[in-house]
Amino acid sequence: MGDGTTATSNRGGGGNGGSGSNKPAWLQQYDLIGKIGEGTYGLVFLARTKSPSNRGKSIAIKKFKQSKDGDGVSPTAIREIMLLREISHENVVKLVNVHINHADMSLYLAFDYAEHDLYEIIRHHRDKVTNPIHPYTVKSLLWQLLNGLNYLHSNWIIHRDLKPSNILVMGEGDEQGVVKIADFGLARIYQAPLKPLSDNGVVVTIWYRAPELLLGAKHYTSAVDMWAVGCIFAELLTLKPLFQGAEVKATPNPFQLDQLDKIFRVLGHPTQEKWPTLVNLPHWQSDVQHIQGHKYENPGLYSVVHLPLKSAAYDLLSKMLEYDPRKRITAAQALDHEYFRSEPLPGRNALVPSQAGAEKVMNYPTRPVDTTTDFEGTNSLQTSQPVSSGNAVSGSMAAGHVVPNRSVPRPMPVVGMQRIQAQGMSAYNLTSQAAMGGGMNPGSIPMQRGVAAQAHQQQMRRKDPGMGMPGYPPQQKSRRF
Amino acid sequence: MAANFWTSSHYKQLLDQEEVDVVHPLDKEKGVTLEDFKLIKMHMANYIGRLGQNVKVRQRVVATAITYMRRVYTRKAMTEYDPRLVAPTSLYLAAKAEESTVQARLLVFYVRKLNPDEKYRYEIKDILEMEMKILEALNYYLVVFHPYRALSQLLQDANLNDLTQLSWGIVNDTYKMDLILIYPPHLIALACIYIASVHKDKETTAWFEELRVDMNVVKNISMEILDFYDSHRTITEDRITTTFNKLALRS
Repeated sequence: MGDGTTATSNRGGGGNGGSGSNKPAWLQQYDLIGKIGEGTYGLVFLARTKSPSNRGKSIAIKKFKQSKDGDGVSPTAIREIMLLREISHENVVKLVNVHINHADMSLYLAFDYAEHDLYEIIRHHRDKVTNPIHPYTVKSLLWQLLNGLNYLHSNWIIHRDLKPSNILVMGEGDEQGVVKIADFGLARIYQAPLKPLSDNGVVVTIWYRAPELLLGAKHYTSAVDMWAVGCIFAELLTLKPLFQGAEVKATPNPFQLDQLDKIFRVLGHPTQEKWPTLVNLPHWQSDVQHIQGHKYENPGLYSVVHLPLKSAAYDLLSKMLEYDPRKRITAAQALDHEYFRSEPLPGRNALVPSQAGAEKVMNYPTRPVDTTTDFEGTNSLQTSQPVSSGNAVSGSMAAGHVVPNRSVPRPMPVVGMQRIQAQGMSAYNLTSQAAMGGGMNPGSIPMQRGVAAQAHQQQMRRKDPGMGMPGYPPQQKSRRF
Repeated sequence: MAANFWTSSHYKQLLDQEEVDVVHPLDKEKGVTLEDFKLIKMHMANYIGRLGQNVKVRQRVVATAITYMRRVYTRKAMTEYDPRLVAPTSLYLAAKAEESTVQARLLVFYVRKLNPDEKYRYEIKDILEMEMKILEALNYYLVVFHPYRALSQLLQDANLNDLTQLSWGIVNDTYKMDLILIYPPHLIALACIYIASVHKDKETTAWFEELRVDMNVVKNISMEILDFYDSHRTITEDRITTTFNKLALRS
């Protein structure tokens, strides 16, 4: 069923893939540049398209290894494909292609490449330039993150693993400075209540984990993503993770005392008046002594993030870090917050802080690329890979050194691929509002729309606004009757 | 979008009956008729259901698996994609997509247990290979909507909760046909409620009239279901074996 958008299924490369060539036909449409990331279940490569229409366009290709325990395509890959095939939004990565190499049973997901991510941007400011991120940039990044998240939530998708390294930002090009939410390996549709990830033995980073999960809540809600956004917001402001707890590993128990302690230190203890269902949470009851042992009297969030108590930014942040998930601000409400209506107004290119006058783009370092690794993940390029041999020569043939892997300083054992790139210019013409149920954009937000991408318009299917709710609206006429 | 049927890939992929009722040329060459084609798909739907019970997955997973299997055969020939492998593999893939992963070796165990006929016997390796081929054949669209959710909501709305069991069973039976490829799930649910209410002499005319749906479509679906019940009382194992022999797989 070609709909012309994505997902070639490659008969040629597939069927006879076992014939000895390790370069399936589909791969020939790319020039491999090198490896840009590595995760527990595979590698991520940077490549460029060769097709005349999109020549030189950067693509990130995520390769999933066949799991060793003989259980086929990884459920993470299935989740990611399943969700990304259904959704389309300017602030969400777009799956450009899916390829299967039947010969070695590997699966490749191709995304449009994003040069930056919040992890690197924060690190750059903290370690290299030692100045804060420009307020315009912080606000624009946050607005776009919320915009993408609101789209997901209104489609009943919870991301469940939001953290700075999963929030990508487009580099030079038509979409410069546009945020893309990436890594849907843990994302879920929550038509039915979701069991905690820990039930599946999944480990996700704890720094961005909501308190209700740490206390053993049995089910996820979209509020867990908003907690993570709050943590990310604070980190953008201070360049430090807000709640940097030490993880107790190798336990299926979601209870993480140190993480909770870090939260309580800053926000004070949750109380039953403020969070009535608190007492029902398993770990609040069973670990009363541990948790409630220390008393932290002075909630000091504003001093940690250096924000005036009365500022709109502080108000928004504290609403994101509300203990009771039912009172926590939603993405839609957050987009409507005063913070986004005051100067500097958020914009589409988050990397251009000086809106007035000469536009000066923040120069963030580009992603390190290990040009010595081929698609097989082997650490030297073979001559049978003419596609990439050029790069190998100019690149790092010299010492066969591997570019310091970016996963090194990563805080947590990550389930997902560290660096997943995203999104093409093709989503460009989709107004941010079109998919958000309308009215979410607080009117005044000057999200500049590009004009350059009109040519791609054909590729987009404009989504009906206002269709965020599940179920079957009876007034909808089916197309066929 | 993932949780809204009207913007989903499922809705966009709905086909007309005539598009579904096409026997692949390769199968036609082997003498497979439309009747045979439907029969095998029905037989495989039953098989997926039995496997699903054994590996203990919810009905929803079974329903998704059957939908995958039926979608595969709108594009692929049975002579190339052996139904006896596609069926368990569809269940395997659906279990992952519906977050209730089943181990391949467990599936292989029950495949053996349920089938004395060794033509059904496939190894783990075969399932894993077929999983990727099915993913491809599905064009990587994995989200499927089912009538069950709408069914409960509608029954509640109509205050017909005592029809739950009967109408739920009818919904299960609709997967023996291609309805899920053709009609929006809520219309299938309505047809099942309609049949159940007529069967139990419940007065529902007023309620149906209040719904803003095309009752002609609902009645057409109902007729198809009733026709199906009529015509499939008579199917014998022999008939199925004969049909499979035409495919001449793994001879």
